[in-house]
Amino acid sequence: MSAQSFLLIDVMYEENTQLTDSPKTNDGRHHVQSMLMRESLLDKDVQKSTETPVFRMLPEAHVIKIGGRSVMDAGRAVVYPVVEALAGCLKTKKLIIGTGGGARSRHVFSIGIDLGLPTGVLAQLALADSLGNAHILGTLLAPYGVVAIPPEIFGHLLPLFITSAPGVIFNGDPPYSLWEHPPTIGRIPPHRSDAGSFLLAECFGCKSLTLVKDVDGLYDRDPRIHTNATFIREIDTAELRQRNLESLPFDRVLLDLLDNARLQQSFQIVNGRHPDRIAAALEGKHAGTIIYANPKSRL
Amino acid sequence: MQNDLLTELGRSLLTSSLDDERLMAQTGGPPAVQILPEANVIKIGGQSIIDRGRAAVFPLLEEIVENLGRHKMIIGTGAGTRARHAYSVGLDLGLPTGVLSVLGTFVSMQNARMLNYLLAKHGIPFIEPAQFAQLPHYLAERGAVIFFGMPPYIYWHGNPDVGRIPPNRTDTGCYLVSEVFGARSMIFVKDEKGLYTADPKKDRNAKFIPTITIAELEQLDLHDVVVERSVLELMPNATHQRSIQVINGLGRGNLTRALNGEHVGTIISAD
Repeated sequence: MSAQSFLLIDVMYEENTQLTDSPKTNDGRHHVQSMLMRESLLDKDVQKSTETPVFRMLPEAHVIKIGGRSVMDAGRAVVYPVVEALAGCLKTKKLIIGTGGGARSRHVFSIGIDLGLPTGVLAQLALADSLGNAHILGTLLAPYGVVAIPPEIFGHLLPLFITSAPGVIFNGDPPYSLWEHPPTIGRIPPHRSDAGSFLLAECFGCKSLTLVKDVDGLYDRDPRIHTNATFIREIDTAELRQRNLESLPFDRVLLDLLDNARLQQSFQIVNGRHPDRIAAALEGKHAGTIIYANPKSRL
Repeated sequence: MQNDLLTELGRSLLTSSLDDERLMAQTGGPPAVQILPEANVIKIGGQSIIDRGRAAVFPLLEEIVENLGRHKMIIGTGAGTRARHAYSVGLDLGLPTGVLSVLGTFVSMQNARMLNYLLAKHGIPFIEPAQFAQLPHYLAERGAVIFFGMPPYIYWHGNPDVGRIPPNRTDTGCYLVSEVFGARSMIFVKDEKGLYTADPKKDRNAKFIPTITIAELEQLDLHDVVVERSVLELMPNATHQRSIQVINGLGRGNLTRALNGEHVGTIISAD
């Protein structure tokens, strides 16, 4: 493809706009000259031709997701030390902080499901809870110049905010709302705040994604229920799928998102009850469980 | 929080992981309500209809007006050739899928605005995602609304497994609206009779397929399909919208017949 073909904006007003025109030349549609002109974007060869290296918008920024139920709902004893840890990191690093919805989202899910409301409505309702937590955390981080940004402007203005302030807070949920995908099982929205934080890190080409939870990382079983659960220090999505664990400490859809990622090839889960591990993770150290993309997924 | 205020499911959701499959299996709950069971979602193709200009758009809009009062219509717009241009420019510059999604949204919004002005004298509004709370009111009052078909994922758009074009585009956005509202039908208005075994614009031997299930479609593994693959991936998980129809909007009367529940194009179903 030549650069010229992209710059030449040649609107082709085709003379003979009969609706039965030959497919080769005059097909009745007014095209703008481009590589994808007249192509079906659903054609597999066309799709392959669009695989090109991706530009990183914010390569120095780190995305951190602070758990809703695991951290925010645990109250002062857990939240204050996490805030202190974040404040320390903000001295040297640019942070994009997402929050989960926690107990209130789970409550609204249970009421909504009981009332027969669909997944998209549940996703729309839950946005309010993670946004509430974003404002709570924003209040506590305000002394360090970090506040919650309204979701409507967050994406577009993120590069400005992250250059002007040491960090920003957003509600970790992606803006899927009514357009949330119905899940395979049950009715809970599959793209929640872990997924929203991942997608943001991937789109903006950020340096790392860290999920701050109340467990040391991934175990073969839920360690809060099974005291003899085995810790898994690192694993890739292929092995993780194969092991088919019943419970994961992150949105299950992250496995798919990670395998389709072009930039964000891993993320780390750390325990917010040991706040020093947050700084360690941002330094690139192994402080919890690191989940890697399937090494074969992009070959 | 007082635990006695919660249902048993509520208590489980508060204490367990939302990624626990056993728990998720309990969240099917009572049957989902159909929020707008009388509404039909109509997707008007960008490249296939709107880019053809007056010759294709005017007769279709006339048909929409004729159906006011008879059928409730939620009308979503495709993007088309300008989105393809923007995607080409963006791909060349290395822009990520999320940014391409923003660009596609702008084009489908232009198309929605154009249809909005052409239908303005009938009082039909164009609503953005933030105005969807008013959709039921407009639908009750005016019988139709217009929205842009792109789902509002913008920077949060997931990558495709192949290439970089946003995988959830205007077909998917319209389909998800029909699913979440439990709409009566989902009609894709394109410039082909429906699904063929190959792109009929390029392959004259392409065979028309009047009805097909998702399972059969997967087996065929077609090189090119008439609706976005993500619609086909979402349909088996749907509660309400388990079938869709693709029709040729260049044929006068096809939309009306489809709204009347007739089979005029290709019906794709999950069951």
